[in-house]
Amino acid sequence: MAQISLFVNGNQQTLEVDPDTPLLWVLRDQLGLTGTKFSCGEGQCGCCIVHVDGEAERSCVLPVSSAAGKSIVTIEGLSLDGSHPLQQAWIAEQVPQCGYCQPGQIMVAAALLNHTPNPSEEQITQAMANVLCRCGTYQRIKRAIYRVIDEGGV
Amino acid sequence: MDISRRDFLKATFVGGSGLVIAVYLAGCKRLPGGSEATDVPGAGDSLSFAAGTPGSETILGETGAAPMVEEISAVEPPAELVPNIFVKIGADGLVTIISHRSEMGQGVRTALPMIVADELGANWNDVGVEQGLADTAYGSQGTGGSLSVQTCFTMLRKAGALGRQILINAAAQTWGLEASDCYAENSLVIHRPSGQQLSFGPLVGLASTLPLPPASQVSLKDPAEFKIIGTSKGRVDNADILTGKAVFGMDVRLPGMLYAAVARCPVIGGKAASYDDTAARQVPGVREVVQIDNGIAVVAEQTYQALRAKALLKVTWDPGANASLNSADLEQELLDRANFTPPAEGEFVQNYIVPYFAHATMEPMNCTSDVKADGCELWVPTQNSQLVLTNVAFSVLKTSPDKVKVHVPLIGGAFGRRLEEGPAGLPVSVDYVREAVQISQAVQAPVHLVWTRQDDFGHDMYHPLSVTQVKARGDQIKTLTMRRLEVSASIPVGYWRSVTNIPEAFAHESFVDEFALETGVDPVELRRSFLSPRAQAVVDMAAEMAGWGSPMPAGSARGIAYHAAWGVTHVAQVAEVTLSGNEIRVPRVFCAVDCGLVINPDMVVAQMESGIIFGMTAALKEFMPIENGAAMRTSFRDYPILRFDEIPQVEVQIVLSSEAPTGIGEMGNPPTAPAIANAVFALTGQRLRRLPLRLV
Repeated sequence: MAQISLFVNGNQQTLEVDPDTPLLWVLRDQLGLTGTKFSCGEGQCGCCIVHVDGEAERSCVLPVSSAAGKSIVTIEGLSLDGSHPLQQAWIAEQVPQCGYCQPGQIMVAAALLNHTPNPSEEQITQAMANVLCRCGTYQRIKRAIYRVIDEGGV
Repeated sequence: MDISRRDFLKATFVGGSGLVIAVYLAGCKRLPGGSEATDVPGAGDSLSFAAGTPGSETILGETGAAPMVEEISAVEPPAELVPNIFVKIGADGLVTIISHRSEMGQGVRTALPMIVADELGANWNDVGVEQGLADTAYGSQGTGGSLSVQTCFTMLRKAGALGRQILINAAAQTWGLEASDCYAENSLVIHRPSGQQLSFGPLVGLASTLPLPPASQVSLKDPAEFKIIGTSKGRVDNADILTGKAVFGMDVRLPGMLYAAVARCPVIGGKAASYDDTAARQVPGVREVVQIDNGIAVVAEQTYQALRAKALLKVTWDPGANASLNSADLEQELLDRANFTPPAEGEFVQNYIVPYFAHATMEPMNCTSDVKADGCELWVPTQNSQLVLTNVAFSVLKTSPDKVKVHVPLIGGAFGRRLEEGPAGLPVSVDYVREAVQISQAVQAPVHLVWTRQDDFGHDMYHPLSVTQVKARGDQIKTLTMRRLEVSASIPVGYWRSVTNIPEAFAHESFVDEFALETGVDPVELRRSFLSPRAQAVVDMAAEMAGWGSPMPAGSARGIAYHAAWGVTHVAQVAEVTLSGNEIRVPRVFCAVDCGLVINPDMVVAQMESGIIFGMTAALKEFMPIENGAAMRTSFRDYPILRFDEIPQVEVQIVLSSEAPTGIGEMGNPPTAPAIANAVFALTGQRLRRLPLRLV
């Protein structure tokens, strides 16, 4: 066990934790931030993606020790009230079906648009191919991302 | 007045994340009136009126709320009108509608309340949705077969209409005017001749004292008057889903809850013979290791501790009867059986093979169970909450059903995995529920059981391997017959989105295409000779959308398929196919659908888009080989599903119809594989009769 400090959604948190624990489980079980989802546990599906110092990272395979001292943003911290342009566009395009993968989808899209406000179609495809959706909402995800770009970005 | 504990607003803190679930039950006002007024379940049932809405709950809190444990025990509930178990109207004008079916992405928590709200005459903006607990008072809560709208439409219209009539009667009495001159719209009762209006809220006090109107007074709207039905309404859960507040089964947190993981025999149906948990117990946070029916369970303070400890268990497995089972052998056995009788003279015969598929829901199986001395409370992402309840009560806890309470959170994909009980003697699809209950019983604490992705792929109730044989006399498509052969091996199989429609559509629609080309008739024209007018209309619409018959660019081709799953919803699709080496690409799919009267048009479109992607995954990607009794694909690495970079552009058109509404959830995927296979033949001359389609 070790004491680790994290900055999660703007708040500093100090935790007693096994340093090998994936960040995902620290968020979900210790910090009560269940918006970040467990699905595959091996970095394959993207449901668990959060921002670590602004980069989209798969929290299910990221030991919490690697996130120590870094700034972490989860879906709960993307906006205070669901007003982030991507959250709004996801509603406008009615993207979610079961909704389980959507926090991961949005966090990947947010990281992409933060870095690349006007991505090419290929850049969008490359980024979004990291997150699986069994309901097949991809076409609407694409529309929602273009909606945000067309309306001035994030 | 003797007010029972049930009648109070009850707020209970349920966990570190601060999720507050309130079970709120309506006022104590007992309405006189007989159950003859309507055939809505619970209407006129004195229990329903005394206790308000049985078995419903709403999630009030959100992640991050301050922990509290509170029971408010002396508050007079606010006035509320509860005409039946599906609807409550508050004195504040807010309308609460109960969704008694499970939401897993198909939009039922939006569509069913739309039906009630429209007949009630409510403004959709005034409507909130609560999830019903498992309760036979609702009738069936099994959510499958694309049946919810289809079978609940009239019942829910009556539920809303009854509420409307009570409110109209209250307004008429207030005004001293004739009820028959009033109508309700936009959460207002309006007196047609004078234009006077009263909003629902202020009418609730009086309305809740009035007798139930007789059935003769409760009439359903003329569909031409629908205001909500037929308009696209956004999904009620989206805001919560997109901010991380939505509570899926995986997100349930209770005070004092422990986390569990189960080590299972890799061979399906195998059992633990013995185990050594010395190393597992050394993992910090591990509280208990217990043997249950399906394996060895590790219980810990956090999920990761349970997963780590599970990996350290040394288990000797007894693989049981399946140890020598191979799906390749089973497939050959089916083909041998299918081909046992040689074709008759002039008979055209083909076999079509569909392999085992996994459900691969993004949310793995999970269940939260709190077994106490006097019963059990469960939070289960299930399509069949009443089945969960009775199975746990009768078969696990050996108690009466009233001792078991089942909450249904949001479900991160289901596709049939969370629906059925399964055949006797085989593992049942409430397997994960039974495990959680057994573990909670053993450790005497609330337990949140998490299946890993490997558990989920390796211990699914797979779509069954099948061979479908289709035959027809060489010149007569109307002589077409089909028979489907499945193995009776002890591999657990179950419902999988659209169930038998998958092999039926693949076989039938591939065969029709083959027959058309054999006999030199255009596949769209051939269908004209045997399809019903409604079916032919969607075929014609899809063909027109795709420009059927117009030339395609070199290196691409079209294929068409039609299917009505369970004979109810007519869907035709045209797929365009190109190749990249030997890999099949699908740049566009055109889809026409006739599902009768449409409740929520955008949801119909969304379900067709979803079905097509699901169908394409079955056509091109997924299959689950079984070798020596074990599922050989246990990761998205080797069980790929369609990704963002592989999707077609999908266009959907809905046929306008005033026929009775049917279903949509499982209607989109059956035609996709045969449409692609037919396009592949048109492009390459290779007829592929086995899923997933592989060019040689």
